[in-house]
Amino acid sequence: MRKLWDFFQLAGQSILHRRMRSWLTVIGVFIGITAVVALLSIGFGLERTVTDQVTGVFGYDTFVVAGGDMFGGGPHSEPEQYALDIDLLRSIDGVKTVAALRERNGFIQAPADENGVTPPGAFMPVIGLSSELLTDFQAFTGELKALPGGRLFDPGESNVMMLDEEIAERLGVEVGDLVYVAGDGEGLDLEVVGIMAPEEDASEDDSEDGFGMQFRSGSDGDTIYVPFGTMDLLWNEEPDVLVTLVRTKEGYDVDDVADRAEAALNERGSDISTITATDISAFIEDFMTTISAFLAGIAGISLLVGGVGVMNTMFTSVLERTKEIGVMKAVGAKNSHVLTIFLIESGLMGFVGGLVGTVLGLGLDLVASRVLERVFDFPLAVVVNPGLIAWTLIGSFGLGALAGIWPAWRASRLQVVDALRYE
Amino acid sequence: MALLHLKAITKEYQLGKTTVRALRGLDLAIDAGEIVAIMGPSGSGKSTLMHILGALDVPTDGLALIDGQDLQALKERKLVALRGRRIGFVFQTFNLIQTLSAQRNVELPMVFQGVSKRERARRARDLLARVGLSERVHHKPSELSGGERQRVAVARALANEPEIILADEPTGNLDTESGQSILELLRDLSVEDGKTVILVTHDPEAADIANRVIRLRDGVVASKARHIGEASQTASPDGVESDSGASASGQGGDADA
Repeated sequence: MRKLWDFFQLAGQSILHRRMRSWLTVIGVFIGITAVVALLSIGFGLERTVTDQVTGVFGYDTFVVAGGDMFGGGPHSEPEQYALDIDLLRSIDGVKTVAALRERNGFIQAPADENGVTPPGAFMPVIGLSSELLTDFQAFTGELKALPGGRLFDPGESNVMMLDEEIAERLGVEVGDLVYVAGDGEGLDLEVVGIMAPEEDASEDDSEDGFGMQFRSGSDGDTIYVPFGTMDLLWNEEPDVLVTLVRTKEGYDVDDVADRAEAALNERGSDISTITATDISAFIEDFMTTISAFLAGIAGISLLVGGVGVMNTMFTSVLERTKEIGVMKAVGAKNSHVLTIFLIESGLMGFVGGLVGTVLGLGLDLVASRVLERVFDFPLAVVVNPGLIAWTLIGSFGLGALAGIWPAWRASRLQVVDALRYE
Repeated sequence: MALLHLKAITKEYQLGKTTVRALRGLDLAIDAGEIVAIMGPSGSGKSTLMHILGALDVPTDGLALIDGQDLQALKERKLVALRGRRIGFVFQTFNLIQTLSAQRNVELPMVFQGVSKRERARRARDLLARVGLSERVHHKPSELSGGERQRVAVARALANEPEIILADEPTGNLDTESGQSILELLRDLSVEDGKTVILVTHDPEAADIANRVIRLRDGVVASKARHIGEASQTASPDGVESDSGASASGQGGDADA
C-alpha cells in the first residue's frame, strides 16, 4: 500500500513533467466524458421532470383506463375507444371515484334565428364528460372555465351541453338556447348552460396541463360537451369511451386496484388496459434506457478515441523513458513495479479527463436547463447523480489504465541491460 | 571465499544476425572491500562484465557467484532483490530521473524496497550530506552541475546500503576536478565503509585509486594485479600493475596515498 502511494506520486510527477502532452491527451478523454455526463444528466433531468409532472397529475391514488395497450402502439397513436361497464368499475373494491370521457360524432342543429330560419345542421364531435371529471380530476382536465354568464355541468344533470366559444359563435348560440343534437336514436334538445373560455395558450398545454387536455387539444375548438349520462340517451352504451380516470380509496394500493379493475373489465368484454403512475414511470424509464443505450454508443466511440490517445501517449512515454525504466530496474524495481507505475500514469490521465469532463458535463447540463427554461419555458430539473459521477471517475481511470496496459506491459518487459543502453 | 567470483564466463548476444561473443571464458574473483578498476579498449567486454557483476544480466555459460549465489540459478525476482539491496550502480551519464529532486532520486531505490517515507527522507538527506550536497536536496538534476549530479548518483547507489558499488565510467562525463572528487568519494566508501568498489573506466586517474587493475582484451582478462589472498586462484596470465601493496582486504594501503 505504501509503495502504491509512492507509485502514484512517481506517475503524477511524470505527468506533470510532460504537461503539454498530458493535457492534450486529457483533452482527448474529457471531450467524450463531457458529452456522456452532459447527455446522461440531461436525460436524468428529463426523466425527473416528466416523472414529477406525471405524479403531479396522477397523484399516487389514480389510474387511467385506456383502450387496447396504450403504450403498445407508440406514444402518438390515436387512443382506442372501448366499451365500459362503469358500474362494474365503481363496484370494484378500493375504487373511490370514476370519471369517464366518451366521444361520438353527432348531428348538431342550432335553433331558428329571429327570422324563424333554422340553420342547416352539421356533424360535429360530441364528448360526454362525467361530472366527476370536472370536480375531482382537475389535474387532468386543466382548469375548465365557462365564460361569464354560463357555468359547467352540475353532477346528475342531464339534457344540457357546453360548447367551445368558437363553435358557439359559428352556430350563433348563447347560454340558455336549446341546441338539437341527434345520435343514433331520436334527437334531443339540449340546453346550453355554458360556453367554454378558450385556453389561454394552446401551445403550452403539454407542459402545463400534462395529460390533462388531451381531449381538448384535439378538439380544435369545435367540440360539444354533454354529461356522460346524456350520451347514453343519444347513443346507448357503445364502445366509444376514450379514457376513464379512477381514483382509489385511501389505504389501497393503486397498482393492485388497477390490476383487479383491468381483469374484471376485460372479462366483461372490454379491451382495455390500466395505467398507473408506476406504469408511466416504467415506460419513461424504458424510454430513457433506450436513449441511454444510444448515448452509450456515441460515448463509446468518443471514449475509444480518447483511449487510443492515451495509449499513443503512453507508448511515446515508454519509448522516451526507456533509459529511465532501465535505471529503475537497476536500482531494484520489479517488473510489476514498472507495470504498476505506468498503469497508474495512464489511469491518472484518464481520471483527470474524467474529472474535467464531469465538471464540464454538469456545467453543460446546467446551461441546457437554463436555456430550456428561458427559451422554451420548460423547467428541466438539474439532477446531479452521485452514482453517475462516481462511475464516470472510476470508469475514466479504468479507461486510462486499460489503454495503458499494452504500453505498460511493454515497459515492464524491457530488458534492463537493453534499456540502460538505449539512447 | 571471494564476494564476487566468476569462472569461465562466456556471454554471447545477438546483434542482428551475428552472434557477438563479448566474454570468452573469463575468470575473476573480487574480495569484499576491494577497489578494482576494470580497464580495456572498446569492445573488450567491460560493459558486459559490469552487467554480470551487477546482476543486470546473466552469463551464457560459466559460473557467476555473487556472495555464493549462482546468478544463473536465480529467478528474476531474486536478481531484482540482489540488485536492489546488495549492489549500487553509478553510471557514466548519471541516469538520474529528471522529474525528481535530488532527494527523491536518492529515495527511489528505497521506494522499491518499501522503506517508510520518513526513514527514506532521513537516509536520503544523510547520504546527500555525505556527498556534500546538503544544500541541494530539493534541486532537480537539470539544476545541478555534472559533478553534483554524479554525487547524487553516488548517494543513490548507497541508498539501500549495498556492499558492492559498481561504477561505469563515473568520471567519463566530468571535468578533472569533479572527476577527482568523485573518485575520492568512491575510495572513501571502500576505505571508510568497507564497500567493494568496482570501477569500469578509461581514466588512468580512476585506476590510481584501485587496489587492482584488471585489463580486459577480447573478452578475457589480459592482465591483472597480483592480489594477495585467496582470490588469486583465478587462472589468467598475470601481470602485476597495482599501485601500493594492496592488503588482503584492500582497505589498508592506498588510503590517502
